[in-house]
Amino acid sequence: MQEIIQLTAAVVGSIGFGIVFHMRPKKLKWAALGGFLSWASYLVLVHAGLNEYLCGFIAAALTTAYAEIMARSTKTPAIIYVVVSTVPLIPGAALYRSMNALLRQDMTVARAQGLYALIFATSMAAGIVLTTLFERMAVQRSAAENKS
Amino acid sequence: MTREEAEKIVYIAISIGEELLASSAEVSRVEDTVTRILQAYGATRADVFSITSSLEVTAHFGDFNTVTQTRRIRSINTDMAMLEALNGLSRMICSAEPRMTPEEALVRFKKIREETKAAAESRSASLQMLGYAVVSGSFTVFFGGDMADCIAGAVIGVILKLIESALGKVMTNRLLIAFIWSFAGGLLAHFFVAFGLGHHSDLISIGNIMLFIPGIAFTNSIRDLFYGDTITGLIRFCESVILAITIAVGFTAAGLIM
Repeated sequence: MQEIIQLTAAVVGSIGFGIVFHMRPKKLKWAALGGFLSWASYLVLVHAGLNEYLCGFIAAALTTAYAEIMARSTKTPAIIYVVVSTVPLIPGAALYRSMNALLRQDMTVARAQGLYALIFATSMAAGIVLTTLFERMAVQRSAAENKS
Repeated sequence: MTREEAEKIVYIAISIGEELLASSAEVSRVEDTVTRILQAYGATRADVFSITSSLEVTAHFGDFNTVTQTRRIRSINTDMAMLEALNGLSRMICSAEPRMTPEEALVRFKKIREETKAAAESRSASLQMLGYAVVSGSFTVFFGGDMADCIAGAVIGVILKLIESALGKVMTNRLLIAFIWSFAGGLLAHFFVAFGLGHHSDLISIGNIMLFIPGIAFTNSIRDLFYGDTITGLIRFCESVILAITIAVGFTAAGLIM
């Protein structure tokens, strides 16, 4: 049940970000699907027992693949879809808890949560970069083939 | 090609690049777009260098006919509709046959800029506020808040946006602005809970943090580092980490004095 509530919230949150970032209203449904995909894939991976950072990495990579496909088919820069879709993965809660613990001088929690936020955000970014690097290679290859 | 024509071409290319940067496009995309436009207009060589706050372009049109222009980018606002529209324009410039004249391209560029900005402003009043409410409320629930927390988060999200834009008119230091409104956000969350609207002030604050956290800037910074745009990557990385910490400290500092 908790998962269903979270998924719904992720979908609605992604739509909200689409609005905040001036996405065209017609494309908001794709933002919703992206938010769903990123959080659903993360949940599935976590339940499969994988390391959390690895889950973030793979979920971000998959979501970016979705974003690249949507970018192609709707002729929109991929970053738009990447941003609104990966929002649920951003470790905002860990950051808050880390700073909260820091101000209460609870250094153990502050360090643990802060490191978690930093490493998780970096894993996500690495996942996004991985997919975009592959996409770039594919584009360059097809451009080279068209020339020859 | 005459000197004047060359200057016009560089002008239109750098204008599009500047607007792309100001709408938070990746540096590599900006450099790529500007280079393509210059090549489409017959530049034999294009040296484009950009960091988040500056864009410089030197185009060569045969020997001895080189033009250099630079732009300083002062503020960055995420505007996806602008990115999309400019992306479309640059594609059109690069593919249209016969080639669009620089004058025509400039007219179209100005039209896109005005229309997109006007559209963003007309929407910003009501729809933007709805967006902020939706994001804050749904992420409060996402992290485990109940219905009352959701409503409190949504209301505070809207109030914070209003405070942020009001502060932006009287102050220029981004970090100070961020600290003030996030501190206000933390106070509001505690007030709302004290008056019975909402039960978890921490979850309400986290929902609001998700709204304002520089997630795009951070992700872009890592990507820039991977692509080899090291300077840009480091600038953005430091900026986004410092901003994120400032916001989180602002929200939590409110809890200390309550």
